[in-house]
Amino acid sequence: MTVTPFPDLSPVAAPSFDVEKILASIDTMAAQRPVAAQLVSVANSEDTSAKELSRILASDVALASRVMKLANSAYFGMRGRVTSLQFAVTVVGFTTVRTMATVALTDLDDESRLPEDFWDFTTHLALAAATLAPRFGQRPQDALCLGLLAQLGAALLFHNDSEGYAEIAATEPTFAGRRAAETRRYGINSLRLTAVALEQWGFPDPMTVPLKHVDDYRAADGALLRSCFELAARLTTEDYETVPIVRVSCGQLREEDVVPVLDVVRADAEELRRAMLGD
Amino acid sequence: MTAVTASDDHVPPEIVSSIFYSAAVSDSLALLVAETSGRTQRFTWANEGAVQLLGYGPADLCAMPVEQLFPTLGGGELKLLLRRERSARRTLQVRTASGALLDAGILTTPSPGGRRWTVMLRATANEQERALRATADAHERRFSALTERSPVPTLLSEQGMRLAHVNDAFCSLVGRGAEEMLGTGWISTLHADDLDAVIEQVSAALGGGEVEVQARLIRDDGTVRTTVIRFAHLFTPGVGAGFVATIEDITDRLAFEARLAHQANHDPLTELPNRTLLAQYVAERFRPGAGGLACLFLDLDNFKVVNDSLGHTSGDELLIEVADRLRATVRPGDLVARFGGDEFVVVCEHVGEDDAVALAERIIAALARPMRLGGVDVRPHASVGVTVQTAEHVAPEELIRDCDIAMYQAKSGGKGRITVLDQQARAEARNKLRLVTELRDAIDSRDITLLYQPIFSTASRTPVAVEALARWDHPERGPISPAVFVPLAEESGLIGGLGLLVLDETCRQLAEWDRLTGVAAPPRANVNVSALQLDGNLPDQVAAALQRHQLHPSRISIEITESALMKDPASAQRVLQQLRDLGVELAIDDFGTGYSSLAYLRHLPVDCLKVDRSFVAELSAGHGEIASAVIALARSLNLCTVAEGVETAEQADELGRLGATYLQGFTLAEPMTGGHAAAWFAIHGETAQ
Repeated sequence: MTVTPFPDLSPVAAPSFDVEKILASIDTMAAQRPVAAQLVSVANSEDTSAKELSRILASDVALASRVMKLANSAYFGMRGRVTSLQFAVTVVGFTTVRTMATVALTDLDDESRLPEDFWDFTTHLALAAATLAPRFGQRPQDALCLGLLAQLGAALLFHNDSEGYAEIAATEPTFAGRRAAETRRYGINSLRLTAVALEQWGFPDPMTVPLKHVDDYRAADGALLRSCFELAARLTTEDYETVPIVRVSCGQLREEDVVPVLDVVRADAEELRRAMLGD
Repeated sequence: MTAVTASDDHVPPEIVSSIFYSAAVSDSLALLVAETSGRTQRFTWANEGAVQLLGYGPADLCAMPVEQLFPTLGGGELKLLLRRERSARRTLQVRTASGALLDAGILTTPSPGGRRWTVMLRATANEQERALRATADAHERRFSALTERSPVPTLLSEQGMRLAHVNDAFCSLVGRGAEEMLGTGWISTLHADDLDAVIEQVSAALGGGEVEVQARLIRDDGTVRTTVIRFAHLFTPGVGAGFVATIEDITDRLAFEARLAHQANHDPLTELPNRTLLAQYVAERFRPGAGGLACLFLDLDNFKVVNDSLGHTSGDELLIEVADRLRATVRPGDLVARFGGDEFVVVCEHVGEDDAVALAERIIAALARPMRLGGVDVRPHASVGVTVQTAEHVAPEELIRDCDIAMYQAKSGGKGRITVLDQQARAEARNKLRLVTELRDAIDSRDITLLYQPIFSTASRTPVAVEALARWDHPERGPISPAVFVPLAEESGLIGGLGLLVLDETCRQLAEWDRLTGVAAPPRANVNVSALQLDGNLPDQVAAALQRHQLHPSRISIEITESALMKDPASAQRVLQQLRDLGVELAIDDFGTGYSSLAYLRHLPVDCLKVDRSFVAELSAGHGEIASAVIALARSLNLCTVAEGVETAEQADELGRLGATYLQGFTLAEPMTGGHAAAWFAIHGETAQ
């Protein structure tokens, strides 16, 4: 018997775009937003305290005000009771602070540099993820953050290749088709690029693993995020051709489960968008 | 100098080789080196740890294309793993020699030049981490099992007010499903007026406190449950703060407490506010000098008649009907309270005297409608006292007191009347009130003194006894008549103290006379007892006084008015019998002025009748019929008699002729102090011995 340790690799067409440049550009951005960069690196540490995080956060006034705004948004139900930054950090949680720092670090808060309707889709995606998380045995807060950052890769691709990316978005109406087109053009799809970036910054596994399994309909790890993409598309995309939810959710959801979720998400999305962008 | 100086850039070769050796043979650290050759990257070196982790032979590893080891890596992603200028960190699946996929954390570090990388592998799901995760999962499962099955409604927050878990007990408390309440959904179960307080306490709990708040929860059927929510702080390292909350449903307890409070403040028979609530109500609305508050005090006329003749059940029915009629007659917002017994008080705000009187008239008219009680038509009548707040009222209780006084005036003026307490009446009432206070002080400081009036034997005209008479010499008002202060003491509950004082002082005086004058001392003293003293305590009090002063019971005669005996004849007879058993003598005072049944008199254990002074006075006018009849009656019952108020020698002679046993009067001997009496008896008493 012959063991072939190296099966032939299927030939891959050379991508027409150097994706490493994109990652390199993040490092450049980090240098321009040192406070955000620091928050991204410390927020996940086990010995981080709200006091320490809020101390760092206070030096970035714009970011701090967004955290305050988010803490007082309907999503957290605190109705304007959050008046100190430290308390705001406590309310939104460390992962959320870190997520917001990542948004600032990667210029996701500059809508002029993003694909069309980026935040509209993202907030619906994030809220759907948070709302449905308990059904999938996940922490809602992690799911919210994952939803907020899932499209980071797409934004990075758009930053560096706005015309090419816009063309993909325009010509590929389905998620699977779009991601295949991304892989063809960049050698990596946008969600995997998000995963690469988040892993690079040390975000925990629950934030990165689902990104890698979105396209595998059999993978339970990607079921929540996949379902939320479906719901966000139903809520934000005109003439969207729906996919049965039972299929994308690995059988975890039925259509009747979805209706109340859509209502909740629709109600909170705009406020979350304002908090994230500091409008 | 032989020492080698190592700079940051230049590490001595022997150290480099030492580190390389340890890295090469380490089995806990998986290290590989990848190099670019042509257009592909291949591994060119692997340490012992990598060989063990991956299962390939060293030779196989050292020719393997890098992407071969990472099958999930997409075509363009290799360059993101092997970056030319920066290290990269990924979590990827690694294909081992057996074909199994292993999750591993990968750290790549480029060498200068960008063509060679050190690749470090760390299996993420190693045994220790798996065990840790299993423990954490078990903890979480245990915690959720504990809360899920707990009968205590429990909430577990995720962030801020957002919930991650609610248990079945909470779901059934609010009658909703868990799904609806996760996140901020549960906020809609909080009563809108309590939401701010809850958020306040959640803030405190997130900040590290243990707090509680009372809040109402709205069930899905719209009913309200009042709860106490207790919050405790929860901190998850690396994540942030949350809370765990337990909910206690106190609705039933509060209802019970409210029922108790209602019972404490309401009359159970009529459901009207009681005296306590009335006092509170008036106190809350009373503003000194403001006016506008009016009180009506109602007392049913002849309620006792209904109670005694038709029974207590009918009496209760009457009170309930009166309460209903009062409620229906007063204006909305007026308070109707049951003050006690058959007394009711109505309090109105923003009214003048005319309005208050008009209301009183309406009430009297409403009450006077006939009602059927025990088969009899009864028309309840009431006497009403009205007071409207004036500048002179300085405390709320004065209002109630004044309308009480007005009611008594209405009653004494004839029943079924309305009396408004006017200025003069109020002044008199105040005066009386002050006098009561002064009387209480006088009794406490024994400023009430006793005078003793000798009583003579008709036959021998010698003194045989004295009657003790209470006197009050007021320091400012001068002497106050017993006809004033005795009824006052009776009305104001001071009669008990006054009676004891008289009894004790008389006994003390008797003992002193004995000591000073021996056999010349008055043989007996008569002590007056009020109707209100005539209860089961009296015999003990008399016995105690006698014992205290070491006197024989025969030294005392207790005088009780005829009307006092008639109030509750059965009880009076019992008390008299006990006194008689003690050995004291008993006399009926003012005999002939009441309405004693002679048959009843026969059964009373008395020794003596006192012929009232009014009958004695009639002797002078030639009308001796009554005095004569009383004396004859006494004699036929084998009782002795004392004729009071003997003013003239002719009266004395006539009484002697009629057969009176004893005489007492101003001309015979005036009342005198204890000291005088000792001297007087020393002179006049000897003939009596």
